[in-house]
Amino acid sequence: MTMSGTTSGTLLTRWAAPMVRWARRKSPWVLHYNTGGCNGCDIEILAALTPRYDVERLGILKEAAPRHADILLCTGPVTLQSRDRLRRIYAQMAAPKWVAVIGSCGCSGGVFQGGPNVMGGIDQVIPVDVFIPGCPCRPEAVIDGLAQLLEMI
Amino acid sequence: MAELLSALFTWFVFPGFIFLLLCTWAFDWLDRRIIARFHGRVGPPWFQPLADWIKLLAKEDILSTGINERLAAILPMLSFAMVLAASLYIPVAGYTAAAFEGDLIVVLFLLSMPALAYFLAGWISGGAYGIMGGNRALLQYFSYEVPFLMAMVGPAILGNSWSISQIAQQQTGTLWYAFVQPVGFILAIIGLIGKLKRDPLDIPKAKSEVVGGSLTEYSGRKLVLWHLTMEMQAVLGIFLLINTFLGGAITAMVGLNILLFFLMAMVILLSLSTASVIYARLRIDQLAYLGWRVFAPLALLQIAFVVWMGG
Ligand code: SF4
Repeated sequence: MTMSGTTSGTLLTRWAAPMVRWARRKSPWVLHYNTGGCNGCDIEILAALTPRYDVERLGILKEAAPRHADILLCTGPVTLQSRDRLRRIYAQMAAPKWVAVIGSCGCSGGVFQGGPNVMGGIDQVIPVDVFIPGCPCRPEAVIDGLAQLLEMI
Repeated sequence: MAELLSALFTWFVFPGFIFLLLCTWAFDWLDRRIIARFHGRVGPPWFQPLADWIKLLAKEDILSTGINERLAAILPMLSFAMVLAASLYIPVAGYTAAAFEGDLIVVLFLLSMPALAYFLAGWISGGAYGIMGGNRALLQYFSYEVPFLMAMVGPAILGNSWSISQIAQQQTGTLWYAFVQPVGFILAIIGLIGKLKRDPLDIPKAKSEVVGGSLTEYSGRKLVLWHLTMEMQAVLGIFLLINTFLGGAITAMVGLNILLFFLMAMVILLSLSTASVIYARLRIDQLAYLGWRVFAPLALLQIAFVVWMGG
């Protein structure tokens, strides 16, 4: 796992490290960005956020601003158009931040692989922490992937 | 020495800072839990607000380039300090850290200043969403604040005082003001929802329209201070309503007071959560229309009624 970004190593943060780690595992706020997929995975993400699956039990909240979020959920292959925007959104997020890729497209390019306007998977552009394959993956898979990501934090 | 210690105790422990922080934690969690139950789900565990605060505190604090850093740091601190200062004058089940004739006006002022700071924070943040959210916040402020203030005048006239503890005291043995002036009570609750930017009136921070409103560009420590300000404002607003409209839960039996106080707080919190679940967000023009053409005349009628009753 790549820990993207480091916190400033002040005395307080080092002393409180276990507590902070606990808090980060218990309160992951996600941001959702479609880099060019078919929208299938996005609908599954939204399904995972509905009351039926109740991800707020894990403390997961959907945030709209990159500055507030901890985990970036990316779907779809990176198209040439969305590449710079993806980089910018990633740069706007405050460290520590993690990236979860949802769907086969984001993992490898999927069915769009080899297209003239497609760069391939998300990991071509920004560091990725979990890959959740499936076309589209089920909400259960999304939650399972996020839970595994939380284990790694 | 003993006086100093007791003063420090009232400022920092009960009913001061630590007590308020615990209340904020409890109310925030209960609010999210109640909303979750309305949705038919379980909701977050009890430590959720604490985890959110610690996580945000430990997060990187970044600002856009070109932003006035000092102002961006001062605004959330200032609004948090204002809210904390207001807490000194709001009695909890009859206990108050300080009181003087006219503290109702001071408290109303201190509780409405964060709205201005919120607007400024959006304005200087340098993002389009921040500016738009800030403008909406100001427009919303003009719509809800006038009926809210007028609703607060009713209890002051009836209680013949501008002091919150005095107004609460006046209601012992008589009918609570919420029953004498139900319209004022409901207007005050609506005003409180507007003040807290909670769900039917969350126009300034509507996620699907202006992303995060004024706070879009803020992260880490500044964000957590803003969140704390809002949540503590909710607690204080509820306490204020209890004191002005529900008699401050002062009964003959001292032991019962605190229990009754929190029961009332729960009821108001439940009504706030219910409102945010069952109503969809209003448009800003609808709110301005309601505020000026419906709520303000109703509040005026309420005041006229109170004056006619003979104060
Ligand atoms: S993985 Fe499948 S469902 Fe998801 S975006 Fe790609 S093509 Fe669509």
